[in-house]
Amino acid sequence: MGFGRYVTARVLWAAVVSLIIVTVTFLLLAAAPNPAVQRAATQAALQGGDPAAAAERVRELRGLNQPLHVRYLDYIQSVYTLDWGWSQSRSQPVMEAVTQALYYTVQYSVPWTILTIILGPLVGVYSAANMYSWKDHAATAFAFFGYAIPNFFFGIILLLVFGVWLEVIPIVYDTGVPVFSVENAIQLAVPVFVLVTGSIGAVMRVSRNESAEFQNADFMKTAKAKGVSPLRAYAYHVMRPTLVPLSTTLVGQLLALFIGSSLLVEVVFGIPGLGRLTYEALLAQDTNLVLGTTLFFTFVAVIGNLLEDIVFTVLDPRISYDDR
Amino acid sequence: MATEKPERFDQVDWNDLSRSGRFDLSVNALGMLATAIPLVLLGLYEWQFLGRRTATFEFVGLERNLETIDYFFVFTLLLFVWFLVLPLLQNPRMTRYYWEEFKRNRPAVVSLVWLGIVFVGGLLGPLLVSAPQQDLLVAYQPPVFTSVVDTTPATCVGEVIEGRCHGTWQHPFGTTQGGKDVFTMIIYGMTVTMQIAFITTTIVAAIGISFGTLSAYAGGWVDEVMMRFVDIILSFPTFLMFLLILYIYGAGLGMFIVVFSILGWGGTARYVRSKSLSISEEEFIQASRISGASTYRVIRGHVVPNVASSIITQLTLLIPGFLLAEAQLAFLGIGDSSVPSWGQLISAGRSDLSFAPWIVLAPGIVLFLTILAFNFLGDALLDALNPEAEAENG
Amino acid sequence: MSSDQPLLEVEDLTTTFSTDDGTLTAVDGVDFSVDTGETVCIVGESGSGKTVATESITKIIKTPPGHVEGSVRYEGRDLLSLPEPKLREIRGNEIAHIFQNPQEAMNHCYTVGWQIAEALQIHQDVSDEAARAKAVDLLDRVGIANASSRFDDYPHEFSGGQKQRVMIAMALVGDPDLLIADEPTTALDVTVQAQILKLLDELQDEFDMGILFVTHDLGVVAQIADRIVVMYAGKVMERGGVLDIFDNPAHPYTQQLLECLPEFGGTGGGIPGTLPDPHDPPDGCRFAPRCEYAEEACRTGGQPEEIEVAPGQRVSCVHYGPGGSPSVVRSEEFGPANGDETGPTGGESGVGPADD
Repeated sequence: MGFGRYVTARVLWAAVVSLIIVTVTFLLLAAAPNPAVQRAATQAALQGGDPAAAAERVRELRGLNQPLHVRYLDYIQSVYTLDWGWSQSRSQPVMEAVTQALYYTVQYSVPWTILTIILGPLVGVYSAANMYSWKDHAATAFAFFGYAIPNFFFGIILLLVFGVWLEVIPIVYDTGVPVFSVENAIQLAVPVFVLVTGSIGAVMRVSRNESAEFQNADFMKTAKAKGVSPLRAYAYHVMRPTLVPLSTTLVGQLLALFIGSSLLVEVVFGIPGLGRLTYEALLAQDTNLVLGTTLFFTFVAVIGNLLEDIVFTVLDPRISYDDR
Repeated sequence: MATEKPERFDQVDWNDLSRSGRFDLSVNALGMLATAIPLVLLGLYEWQFLGRRTATFEFVGLERNLETIDYFFVFTLLLFVWFLVLPLLQNPRMTRYYWEEFKRNRPAVVSLVWLGIVFVGGLLGPLLVSAPQQDLLVAYQPPVFTSVVDTTPATCVGEVIEGRCHGTWQHPFGTTQGGKDVFTMIIYGMTVTMQIAFITTTIVAAIGISFGTLSAYAGGWVDEVMMRFVDIILSFPTFLMFLLILYIYGAGLGMFIVVFSILGWGGTARYVRSKSLSISEEEFIQASRISGASTYRVIRGHVVPNVASSIITQLTLLIPGFLLAEAQLAFLGIGDSSVPSWGQLISAGRSDLSFAPWIVLAPGIVLFLTILAFNFLGDALLDALNPEAEAENG
Repeated sequence: MSSDQPLLEVEDLTTTFSTDDGTLTAVDGVDFSVDTGETVCIVGESGSGKTVATESITKIIKTPPGHVEGSVRYEGRDLLSLPEPKLREIRGNEIAHIFQNPQEAMNHCYTVGWQIAEALQIHQDVSDEAARAKAVDLLDRVGIANASSRFDDYPHEFSGGQKQRVMIAMALVGDPDLLIADEPTTALDVTVQAQILKLLDELQDEFDMGILFVTHDLGVVAQIADRIVVMYAGKVMERGGVLDIFDNPAHPYTQQLLECLPEFGGTGGGIPGTLPDPHDPPDGCRFAPRCEYAEEACRTGGQPEEIEVAPGQRVSCVHYGPGGSPSVVRSEEFGPANGDETGPTGGESGVGPADD
């Protein structure tokens, strides 16, 4: 089986997985009383109207009186045509709100991802090359610190130290500054640092342990016997095989942080990105928006897992496509 | 309501396992039964005969109530004692060997001591220390050995020297804006932490081990389908799903534990499956199969004990994720605000951070140390229990 | 290079490793030399220091870092005192290595072509196309069919014997004067082994290389060696021309190695006993604890001086020295059981004690 067929099969599977997750969200929603219906009923009761009739009106308006399968098909259709409805709290289409928020999320996610991908393996391999030296111990300590400290707590502390006490970073995120400006770099430095600290630890540990195995492999002796310099030997012969197991950790680690901690970091630093959008939608009881952001993150997760699998297969020449 | 599910899960799984041994119950299983039955009876008694507001132990004159979650906590503790602590005592030689291996890792020993403190504190603390009381008069007391400008606290419990209020041993970690003692709140948070750690791992282990071994032994298309199912479970963004459930239904600590453990066993199942497959290739398993042992017996008698050590390691490394998720949700303030967790305390102290940082720092550092300790412990267990895996997973 | 100077001359080579249990001396004052166009075999049981000795020549010893002393003169240069960058220019270019396990010796993430081209481009400033052409040429030369299409295959797509052929091609990129082959056929099965030995023999003539060949397999030695150096526990026991040693092994250790061969009536059972602890070698002759002729004189002092017993054949044994009597060791008639004077010819036999 060729690479093309493998990718096709894998993409189809990702589509199935996303469909299942979307279905679960639908079932969760369908099984619960709709807050909008309840609101209408309460409002009618307060104004002396008939709560039952008001509820029925809203149900009809929203198509909730239709049979379950019709609603399900409707739901699926609108999810996959990206028609995610109207956000009441923000008075704009959900898609538009998500796109606007994404603009801010990307601004810190890109530097964070790039730094993790570049620094993690480098420090890890360096650590392995100097195993059990003080440099290795320092790197290991940093890695453990990174994945043990809760991001939001670390963020609060840094904000207190650098924002409130030392006053070198702004406490309030300013959306008015241009993307590529010193001001923006300064205000994003601490959130990016916090996220990199969180994600780099696992990447460093995996690359350290994996490359420790490869740097003692026989092919390193071959490389040395060929006259390859130590730097080149590490860059090509150790780094390259390390990337194979690393690819699985890397994507998973970044995704977990992107979906969990970025929400917290945005709330702590007041960045009006996707995480904060989700948070505000939850507080404002804006069902469409909550669903929209959830679906967005879900699709990111599904695509991330897909990429991880494909990258892994591409990186390891020993894997035949039939095996997976 | 939400917490009914794990009860069924736990009981079905573990009691089944011990009963289906056909009358050859081990001491461990007997002990488990002997202690679990009174617990179940107590639960039934409370559920059937006591009103919601009546304290569980009122019939012996104790003002102590047990929540549903407490029952599960006690149940998992019993499992822990009978199936983990007791076997270690039963095999002193093996235990000593493991300990010798483990002892070499200094940070791990320190971590174990720290987790022991959190464990004992969480278990006995709420019984010995009364719940933190609101007292606005003693709000914002600084921790012991520190001082703040004496305008910060309402009244200073300790000495005021040169206009600065000094902390006292009465409130070693200071007090909150409501005058609650931070130290006491941290003790109560230990209970929450231990409940999350024990109950989630038990559920994850029960589902993961059953699913993994079944899949390994079924083989063929059943295995294929089961592993595809694990794929789907692993693809679920757990944190978001919980947010959605929280949004639609509202959720407390019980729901948190259920959702995170029901979506969290995928990795364990996959791990158990591959371990079982490699172990069942080994000669002594083949031998016992040939000698006519049933598949169930082979799994229960050989495979599970042999994968147990690596599963324990894997589970230890799962706990930090659960603790972190709970703290994050509590910090966002969209969960159940009555759960006295550390995240809740951090969230509560955030607005006073600039002049009363101890309210955030104390629980934050305790949370950090606990997560760190679980990571160190998992790493050390990995080295002690399966040295050959050191380079792979360490 | 003057004509009377050997291609490679190793003198008093000593390699030590610092370990947790103290200093480990893997190679202890070893001398040998290799001439252009000749094949010298270092023979001995596993763990006798053969591999460390050859890897000390260009200092490619793996971890833990070993400390090399003595002198290694290659075409008149002292390799041990050369700075690392100069040494790198020699490695893989003038002195090439091939190893025991071709499976592990290649990086599984790169195509074989890439790995051959890498060896070439490190030493020569050639374009990618030229490197590819040369690599395909070499692959073709070492007997890989469809060389140009197999250039882009990964190591796991080759069989064991083919992998070793690829390794040989990789070694040839710099047109080396000396090829160090460390048990290159041990991991291969017998028919493939014979093919590889034949290939090496052809290539030796074609490239006019000296070959330093490490093996524990006397069958292989009989096939390819010109001269033999017998090593035991970091010391040289005996050396000489291949026919001299096969016909008249002087050292008890060499005799016992040969007795293990089926052609000499051996059962393949190996030599009784084990190698001494390299942290704390015995006094006197290293082989004394396992030697059936050992006397008090064998267990004191250091390893006996090498004595010339025949032209070009020298042995380190008390019984040949002053005051000793060679008849103690040479009491019995020695030779192939079938009376064949030319020694063993098959490549199929190995001495028993090899545990790798």
